[in-house]
Amino acid sequence: MKDSNRKIKVVVAMPGLDCHDRGIIYLSHVLKEAGMEVVYLGKFNTPEYIVNTAMEEDADVIALSYLNDHLYMIFFPRVIELLKEKGCSDICVMAGGRIIEEDRPKLLELGITGFFGQSTPTKDMIQHIEDRVKRERWKQ
Amino acid sequence: MGSKEKIKSTRRFDVCPVTETSAGIPLKEVYGPQDLEGVNYKNEISDPGEYPFTRGIWNNMYRGKLWTRRVFTGLGSTADTNARYKYLLGKGASGLYCFGDTITHQGIDPDHPLAQGYAGVSGVSIVCLQDMYDLFDGISLEDVSVSFNNPCMAATVVYSAFVAYAEDMGYDLKKISGSILNEPIHLVYSMFETNAKPLDLAAKLATDVIEYSIKNTPRWHPIAPNAYDMHEKGANAIQEMAFTIAIMEEYIQRMIKRGYDIDEFASRVNVFGCACDIDFFEEICKFRAARRVWAKLMKEKYGAKKPESCRLYLSVHTSGNSLTVQQPVNNVARVTLESLACVLGGLQSFDPAGYDEGYYILTEHSALTSLNIHNILAYESRVASVADPLAGSYFIESLTNKMEDEMFKVINKINDMGGAIKATESGWIGSEMDKELIKEQKEIEEKKRIIVGMNEFIVSKEEEVPIEVGRDRPLEEQMATSKKREDKIKKLRETRDKRKTKDALENLREVAGKGEGHNLVPLMMESLRAKATLGEILGVIREANGASYDPYKVLQYSV
Repeated sequence: MKDSNRKIKVVVAMPGLDCHDRGIIYLSHVLKEAGMEVVYLGKFNTPEYIVNTAMEEDADVIALSYLNDHLYMIFFPRVIELLKEKGCSDICVMAGGRIIEEDRPKLLELGITGFFGQSTPTKDMIQHIEDRVKRERWKQ
Repeated sequence: MGSKEKIKSTRRFDVCPVTETSAGIPLKEVYGPQDLEGVNYKNEISDPGEYPFTRGIWNNMYRGKLWTRRVFTGLGSTADTNARYKYLLGKGASGLYCFGDTITHQGIDPDHPLAQGYAGVSGVSIVCLQDMYDLFDGISLEDVSVSFNNPCMAATVVYSAFVAYAEDMGYDLKKISGSILNEPIHLVYSMFETNAKPLDLAAKLATDVIEYSIKNTPRWHPIAPNAYDMHEKGANAIQEMAFTIAIMEEYIQRMIKRGYDIDEFASRVNVFGCACDIDFFEEICKFRAARRVWAKLMKEKYGAKKPESCRLYLSVHTSGNSLTVQQPVNNVARVTLESLACVLGGLQSFDPAGYDEGYYILTEHSALTSLNIHNILAYESRVASVADPLAGSYFIESLTNKMEDEMFKVINKINDMGGAIKATESGWIGSEMDKELIKEQKEIEEKKRIIVGMNEFIVSKEEEVPIEVGRDRPLEEQMATSKKREDKIKKLRETRDKRKTKDALENLREVAGKGEGHNLVPLMMESLRAKATLGEILGVIREANGASYDPYKVLQYSV
């Protein structure tokens, strides 16, 4: 059981071989400034590694980012699937980068909690994380 | 209450709110003669084509030769890219551009387990010698220059494949021209660091290409450091050039250690690939200042005597980061402004980004628009007719001086740390870039930097004029493209004369462990002719130098 007062912990990661990490560098900075704990995995991760880290770290949130091409439609669902397999669906998964409109309904249905990109104000992301985590912790 | 608010908010836009450059250099309201006090025209500015080349590297600039008009290319298969090349050459392009796909950048083969879905996606895949035959089918290499965007270590193999192809096709190597990015140090903090490790080995291989090229392909530019990526990852205009120059000093010093005189190679390692962002005057002065810094360094620090050693060739891809996904047509205005800065800054080559760069690789239409930005500037606007038309402006010369000072400060600091490799390994350069990136993003969020359509003057999706933009291939298609590449390489492995391949690779391995004095380019060419692949060649070299065969430690050597 998670201590409902502890700092929110976010694993920030890019799956696959995409190298556009400008967004996650800035996001990590902003989340830390907002008082959260960031586990920064950077780029070039497998979904397995991201999920294992999130479990080991007992994280509240996984923030995924992907920009280069369409492979996020393989990596993102795989992260969610692995979380389910391991009984950790309480970890929220949010997505950033360049996620095209047509793919969003499917990802939402799978359980991605929200989409953020180039022009999302970071305060919206922080708000989203805080709301989601509060909801998950309350469930417990 | 409500109406008062409104008046206030429109007034905000009645004055220019900018009081400093993007890099934070304070701007006065007016500049005058006092800002140029003590500046000696002959020593500091001088005529175009004269040391220190502040005003450009040729005396008549574009009347003598227009900038090379390139457009970003690099599409799926080598055959697709070849078709786009022929299309662009037919429409007035004078140079070809080859952008590698994700895995070629990483130096791994299409059948690597982590490469699934990546081969031939968002760039062209170059893995073996046959790829060069497909890429340049029907194009005469003696008549067109080719610019490869491949970083080291993969660049070493791509260059070797290109030269082997040119040689086998019977081209005169002395006549082929172009450039290859090659430089690995910047990768550590900007792109695919896995391809640049161990860093010392990567720098050695990059130097091998320089050494081989000055002897065999004298019109080729064997290293074109990527200032662009550093800029796009945060480096401001001053840092972008200073970091790059400091990085180039590493290779200059290695070449001197190999026994070459500065004048034997300086004129071949003097092409930078930079960004051109939206801060118009700062970018122009960045180019002018960088030329002067380079010239002074070559002459005063390295004792260059030939003028061509002191000439810095600048080429640009206009900043992708400055573009928006909102209202993509606005990007035509941005790219035009940036391209104008390239012309006024006296560049040798640039490619205007496509207005849909924020979406995907350019459509044929946006590539044509980019090419026409060249054509409008070159032939319609008359901006190219006079060399360095902004020289003598109190503001331009003063900002150029200021940027030169600031660049030298950064370069000296890096030298004090023991050079760019040390300053990279210690993390200093990376953390300086992160700081700037965070500052820039903060300013965007706080609207201190206005980006039309993104953080100000926003229109709703419904109000946007629809326009065709580059689209991702559907996932199934992306996977299929990659699979086709994978199968092709697998087939190559099955059908080649294994014995021959193995002999060539073992030969390479033996020499690869011997260090600095042994240039590996000829052996890489032989390995490619024996149908070895990119991943195998780099793997063998890595192993011979005590690193893992596969940068991701998944594969083992098995030829």
